[in-house]
Amino acid sequence: MEKDELKKIIYELVEKSMGKKKLKQSDILKKVSADHGVDKSEVKAALRELMDAGELIFTYFGGSFVEIPPKE
Amino acid sequence: MSMKHQTPLLDELEKGPFPSFVKEIKRAAEHSDYAQDLLGLLELSYKEKVTHWKHGGIVGVRGYGAGVIGRYSDVPDQFPGVAHFHTVRVNQPSGFFYTTKALREICDIWDKYGSGLTNMHGSTGDIILLGTKTENLEPIFAELSSRDWDLGGSGSAVRTPSCCLGAARCEWANIDTMSITNEITQHYQDEMHRPAFPYKFKFKVAGCAVDCIASIARADMSIIGTWRGDIQIDQNEVKNYAQSGMDIQKEIVDMCPTECISWDGSELKINNEDCNRCMHCIAKMTKALRPGSEKGATILLGSKAPIVTGALMSWVIVPFMKMEPPYDELFDLVDRIWEWWDEHGKNRERVGELIERLSFTRFLKDVGLDPQPAMVKEPRRDPFFFWSEEDVAK
Amino acid sequence: MSELPQRQTDIGPPHYEQFLPPVIKKNYGKWKYHEQLGPGHMVHVAESGDKVWTVRVASPRLLSTDTIKDICDIADAHCDGHLRFTTRNNIEFMVDDESKVEPLMKELTEKGFMIGGIGPRISNVVHTQGWVHCHSAATDASGLVKALMDDLGEYFTTKSLPNRVRLAVACCVNMCGAVHCSDIALVGVHKTPPRIEHEKIKNLCEIPSTIASCPTSAISPDPQKKSVKIKIEKCMYCGNCYSVCPAMPIADPKNDGIAIVIGGKVSNLRSNPKFSKLAVPWLPNTPPRWTETVAAVRKILETYAAGAKKHERVGEWVERIGWEKFFKVTGLEFTLQHVDDFTFARETWRMAATFKW
Ligand code: HEM
Ligand code: HEM
Ligand code: HEM
Ligand code: HEM
Ligand code: HEM
Ligand code: SF4
Ligand code: SF4
Ligand code: SF4
Ligand code: SF4
Repeated sequence: MEKDELKKIIYELVEKSMGKKKLKQSDILKKVSADHGVDKSEVKAALRELMDAGELIFTYFGGSFVEIPPKE
Repeated sequence: MSMKHQTPLLDELEKGPFPSFVKEIKRAAEHSDYAQDLLGLLELSYKEKVTHWKHGGIVGVRGYGAGVIGRYSDVPDQFPGVAHFHTVRVNQPSGFFYTTKALREICDIWDKYGSGLTNMHGSTGDIILLGTKTENLEPIFAELSSRDWDLGGSGSAVRTPSCCLGAARCEWANIDTMSITNEITQHYQDEMHRPAFPYKFKFKVAGCAVDCIASIARADMSIIGTWRGDIQIDQNEVKNYAQSGMDIQKEIVDMCPTECISWDGSELKINNEDCNRCMHCIAKMTKALRPGSEKGATILLGSKAPIVTGALMSWVIVPFMKMEPPYDELFDLVDRIWEWWDEHGKNRERVGELIERLSFTRFLKDVGLDPQPAMVKEPRRDPFFFWSEEDVAK
Repeated sequence: MSELPQRQTDIGPPHYEQFLPPVIKKNYGKWKYHEQLGPGHMVHVAESGDKVWTVRVASPRLLSTDTIKDICDIADAHCDGHLRFTTRNNIEFMVDDESKVEPLMKELTEKGFMIGGIGPRISNVVHTQGWVHCHSAATDASGLVKALMDDLGEYFTTKSLPNRVRLAVACCVNMCGAVHCSDIALVGVHKTPPRIEHEKIKNLCEIPSTIASCPTSAISPDPQKKSVKIKIEKCMYCGNCYSVCPAMPIADPKNDGIAIVIGGKVSNLRSNPKFSKLAVPWLPNTPPRWTETVAAVRKILETYAAGAKKHERVGEWVERIGWEKFFKVTGLEFTLQHVDDFTFARETWRMAATFKW
């Protein structure tokens, strides 16, 4: 799968669960890898690009989660 | 700069022989608004006997989920200088050795972008840079990382590993703690900076059973150096200890927990088969006794502080592992443990708690470790044990 | 603002080797023995015959950059620009020639540093953040350490004890500093349950995670108020809920106080590592000098010093004489709080008919 497509899938997964269930990094790796049959390391690489670009961030709220940054 | 706030209660703690943290804050306050208002805020806590910090906000450096701890005052109007007062955790070099050049460099960056206050070191082992604003985080990280410093761990991630100084200056080190710690830290950079675990995971490495780094009490994985083979005895040095006033019977023989030492006034004998390597005799007669020659480590797992179910100390999962670069056997074991924890652990469940919940036997089976008497103090007391399919006659 | 340098990620800490003093680098892994020369200075001798002298001084851990630079000046003048810190937050200056020891110690003394902490005595106090930086703190840490060490300083700089005594301070029951395995440790404790701010809870807290945060399952939903309620008799005042939900403040200046736990150790020497056990359940939180707490620690320390055999740690001494005798010789009161009713309670009850009168 193209990395950009993977990034979109990840972003949408996080977007959908915002406000419902907080996702840990490993939740995302497991789910995307299982749903789309891609290796976890690929998902991880795509997720890392999203993080490095600041589109997704880590938050800390009684555990570390992946979320969309708050709008200023 | 004169002090902005009156601090009669804190001023009391400038007196007395022990070095004063109040003096430290005041020194920084000569050139730092953060430190000025920290004094005011702290004085308020001393007066009211409550803390004035709160959680909140999400701060960090781009791409990392660790290394910065957000902190905000609950009285920002009164003390604007500490409205934001975030901590930066900088990964210390193994063994806490420094050159003055390196320390001054960090100080200069911190004077420019932060409060000028530090902890040398935090309980995690990191260099703690105490107090800065959100907008300074990226500049601090650029300045530090361009000079080869990186951030430590926080949150649900590998925490900054730390160790005793081991081979650098201790004759009892059975393993090269500083090298192992450095290798672990480098090997797991991603797991440190981008939290993916159910909760935190700490490594601490001690060179021997004296455990100067308190690994058994505060690391999820405690790596403690040990040996196989006979304790090496220099009988002449033993005699020197006796001549210089040591009561060998009372201080060494009688205090050996396994009663495996004897002393007839001229020769010290150790029944090495019965020695449990507690280090007492070696520590007390450092010139005369040395550990046996086959070196390695005992790997223990699971300690944590009392929250939430009560304190745990680490317990043995691998009685003896050779510790030589590139440490593949260790990394391989760690990866298997993490996979198991990732699969079964709940949010905020330390690996030791998970093992308690699912059972140690299940852990041993799933991770692929063979049971050994060294792993338990005693066998079970109850008859309620399980068998699996393959143990039962068809 | 001036141009920032290029950031790098995941490089890890600088390699330790570049920071080692030459004599240490040369004899790395080849040390033969060490000898204590005084309460704060010792010599390590290598197989090669090389020696390194170490002088140890106390630090408050919370250091200004100005002080770090002063320390660097000393290391530049005497130690060729090298120094280290110990895990217990002491500072160590190392020299490779005996003639350099005296000038170093002279300058340290003149500048007001406390030299000591090596051997059978107290070392520096492992501690946490307290009111200086933590939202959870029931008491301060730096201030308690200062008050304690001002009083007990002689056991750092001169007087010796039967063995090492490791002190620690944690400002709340999270015990970030591993005080659960120290010889004598102070822990900030609450005595009253959290107060629920029903109005704020809606905006600030996730109800399910707040309920899940309670180790004793004391919290349940209160659907009418769209909030939670606490079963008071189940609450053990741990403050875990407050960490998860800021609308449940637990701080209570009149009732927050300090507990003393004793007898823990992490080393395996002679006896196995031990957890600390409760000696005093509550003393008042009295900054800036905490006189009641400091007096109680001194009492325990001096009773130990008088009663223990050489090389016995506090926990080993108490186990030899028995806890019942510990309360007798220290004169500390035994209360209902001392009887364990938490997770591992049963292990602690006396399942035997043998005890001392
Ligand atoms: C930006 C915001 C926050 C920061 C920077 C922050 C920081 C921290 C830090 C540094 C710790 C100690 C963990 C460690 O040693 O790394 C901690 C612990 C904790 N925080 Fe916060 N916190 C924040 C917000 C929150 C919020 C909003 C909550 C809850 C509603 C929360 C709940 C907790 C809990 C439950 C712990 C327990 C310790 C743990 O799980 O490790 N935090 N926080
Ligand atoms: C619910 C539990 C806990 C909470 C809410 C908590 C919270 C915190 C917070 C907020 C800090 C940051 C203090 C600051 O610099 O502002 C902190 C630091 C720290 N925590 Fe915890 N913590 C918890 C449990 C633990 C446990 C169980 C351990 C260890 C076993 C631990 C180890 C540490 C360490 C080592 C630090 C650094 C402290 C220092 O250097 O002063 N924490 N914790
Ligand atoms: C479910 C399991 C068990 C049941 C229902 C059970 C039941 C009993 C009963 C009814 C007695 C007779 C008591 C009396 O007449 O005073 C007894 C005695 C005894 N049981 Fe068990 N038992 C169980 C497990 C065990 C186990 C696992 C052990 C040892 C490891 C054990 C060791 C003994 C011994 C040593 C006695 C004799 C005590 C004596 O007379 O000195 N039992 N048990
Ligand atoms: C039974 C308990 C303990 C023993 C026998 C012990 C022994 C030692 C010894 C001999 C040293 C080096 C000499 C010295 O500092 O005077 C040392 C250092 C140290 N101890 Fe302990 N200690 C014990 C408990 C603890 C505890 C409970 C902690 C922390 C919570 C701790 C943390 C340290 C640290 C951090 C160092 C400095 C190590 C370094 O600089 O790398 N120790 N300990
Ligand atoms: C009379 C004897 C001894 C004295 C004065 C003494 C003192 C020390 C000191 C101060 C250090 C340096 C520790 C450091 O660099 O932090 C050291 C290395 C060490 N010694 Fe000895 N030692 C003696 C014998 C022992 C004994 C009996 C023990 C243990 C129980 C011990 C434990 C240590 C430890 C733990 C270290 C390494 C500490 C570290 O990681 O920094 N020493 N010795
Ligand atoms: S743990 Fe052992 S090897 Fe390491 S410094 Fe302490 S005594 Fe030496
Ligand atoms: S190391 Fe401990 S058990 Fe072994 S001989 Fe020495 S005192 Fe005895
Ligand atoms: S012990 Fe409690 S108050 Fe102290 S730093 Fe840790 S969480 Fe904060
Ligand atoms: S203080 Fe602790 S025991 Fe009490 S309600 Fe909160 S989480 Fe539960």
